[in-house]
Amino acid sequence: MSLHTEQAARLIGRVLNIQHFCTNDGPGIRTTVFLKGCSLRCKWCCNPESIHPKPELAYDPKKCIGEAACGACLKVCPETAIHVNEADGKVGINWDLCTNCNQCVPVCPAEALTTFGQEMTIEQILAEVEQDSSFYAESGGGLTLSGGECTLEPEFSAALLAAARSRGLNTAIETAGNVPWHFFEQVLQHTDTVLHDHKHFDPVQHKHWVGVDNHRIQANYRRAYETFPDKTFIARTPVIPGVNDTEAHVRAVLDFIRPYKNVVDYQLLPYHRYGQSKYDFLGRVYELRDFPSLPGATLKHLQSIIDQAFGRAPPAAR
Amino acid sequence: MKRIAINFGGGLVPGMRELLAGALRAAQSSGCELVGLRDGYDGLLQDGPPGVVPLTLHEVESGGPGCLIGAAPRIDPFRVRRVDADGLIEEVDRSAELLQRLQQAGIDGMVSVVGASAVTGLHALSVAYKLHRRGLRTVCIAKSVENEVAGVPLAFGYDSVLAHVAESLQRIRDGARDVGRLAVVEVPGRNAGWLALQAGIAAQADAVLIPEIRYDATALAAALDAAVQAGRRPALVVVAEGARSVAGDIAMPAADPLRASLAPNADVAFGQGEHVIDLAGTAGKAVAAALQRAGQRDLLPMTLGLLPRGGPPTALDRQLGRLYGAGAVQALREGADGVLMSWQPPRLCRVPITEALQRVRALPLDGDLLLGARSLGFALGDAAASRAAP
Repeated sequence: MSLHTEQAARLIGRVLNIQHFCTNDGPGIRTTVFLKGCSLRCKWCCNPESIHPKPELAYDPKKCIGEAACGACLKVCPETAIHVNEADGKVGINWDLCTNCNQCVPVCPAEALTTFGQEMTIEQILAEVEQDSSFYAESGGGLTLSGGECTLEPEFSAALLAAARSRGLNTAIETAGNVPWHFFEQVLQHTDTVLHDHKHFDPVQHKHWVGVDNHRIQANYRRAYETFPDKTFIARTPVIPGVNDTEAHVRAVLDFIRPYKNVVDYQLLPYHRYGQSKYDFLGRVYELRDFPSLPGATLKHLQSIIDQAFGRAPPAAR
Repeated sequence: MKRIAINFGGGLVPGMRELLAGALRAAQSSGCELVGLRDGYDGLLQDGPPGVVPLTLHEVESGGPGCLIGAAPRIDPFRVRRVDADGLIEEVDRSAELLQRLQQAGIDGMVSVVGASAVTGLHALSVAYKLHRRGLRTVCIAKSVENEVAGVPLAFGYDSVLAHVAESLQRIRDGARDVGRLAVVEVPGRNAGWLALQAGIAAQADAVLIPEIRYDATALAAALDAAVQAGRRPALVVVAEGARSVAGDIAMPAADPLRASLAPNADVAFGQGEHVIDLAGTAGKAVAAALQRAGQRDLLPMTLGLLPRGGPPTALDRQLGRLYGAGAVQALREGADGVLMSWQPPRLCRVPITEALQRVRALPLDGDLLLGARSLGFALGDAAASRAAP
């Protein structure tokens, strides 16, 4: 084992989830590894459990069997962060006091208390990813690294992608690009396909909805397109009603990407509320709880602009 | 002890200046200084006007609404969001900075006036507890509209809210009865039914639904029908915010987006989950819809919402506020730390903060208040209540 490989073997990643048979995260059939930790705070985030880097507690009160029948978590919490709601006898989590020590998780017989995230080595991750090797070979798929923001842990992500490549897997990442350039560059070196988000083209609106402006993100993308001409870039926008579901946004992104031949597609991801219940499990608020779904006609119209820009036939004729 | 500070967690209750007046008088008579902290801890952590506000008796006792120095449930000094030098968003612990600033201001004791409020839960109490564990000498005073703080049988502000709610319910009931309608009125009470039941009894409601007893809409409708059969005109159903059906949690109507966005702690990295979004009105509407389906057609759904949190305090809260304020300063001067003031007549007691963090106090099902309500014929939304109705 080389020194480099030995170092990689010791690296630990904070994995939220490993999802098999993904078909929208790059070419072919893929396994997507979600890492924890994000450098943005998008108000529409559908994976709130991926925001914080460390493993964290999740609580589903519907599963709690109550203090009278159990009460085990109350005895082990070292922070006085669990209390009893006398009205229904169930426990409640005081998220202000909880330190995510997770000592309550193993003692909960009803699995009302669980942990989002676990620490894994590259070998452990690849062992699970390689279970589907035959599908990758058939479909041209492989490993996609997502998050959170997978480039926030550049050493780990780069080592994982390099190891996957050395075993013949196609590699892709999903990124929002808000990291220092050297983080981004380190990971991109080992990536075949880069799925990258353009969340809002206006810097002020970007800051309002996402938490920071988009200057560095756009600079990173531009530099990446130029530094890695042989890699495949796919631009994406999570389309949020009333935020960025406009022709102006789509045209601005097209103007940004079209000069670069290695940006081969621009995909729209319609807003959904699947993540809402996870906010409750984490004791957080979902600010877009009342946002309407994206009308199909809007999506179709925006998609037609993209098809036209890429010289594809309009959807009706396909 | 030379300089004591007082601050307010979020959630208005009537008469908060009484607490300031009590604390200020006690401080002055014992030769120490009392100062206010502007907007909770925000004033010490954010740019703007000075965080430490001098207090004078003239100003405090000249009347007027609110707590004078502001309350801020949004900033948690242990989890303040910032964008770092690398442009990455993160939440950082600024408690050390806060403690240092308090020390620089010469503050050696803290009176924290804390919820548990329906919106922010135990947040302010939890922050006070964490600062106490970091070495800040702390005495807390509980204020609440639900009276659910464990260890404190009578939280400050509850009596005023109860009086306001009872009067409002009586007005609504009189109006509804005269026009032959059934008012379904939601009142504060996400975790406990003290307010709904006590105000409901006082206003002679026909039914009271509380978080402690899951209601059966069929049994409730039957109880109201029985009242009609007995020659009465049911006019008022009181619903606590936290009342739930036996059929399981009803799918919550979506919270109003504006209210949600304005809700204290409307911040993904911070808060109390379902407590954060202001769900006022949803429980009452669910009950009204269920009664509508059961054939009670002339319904008048209403929500008191934030209304009872404002207005003048009752005489009891005026004296209780002064007692709590003075007692907290006295406790600090006597070396107390990490305690909550608790009026347990005839004594003003000090209970550990942890007692309030371990339980959310609800109406005991075998308590005399609940049993008394049943014996008086108040329908409580369960089968037992429908049998009890005359």
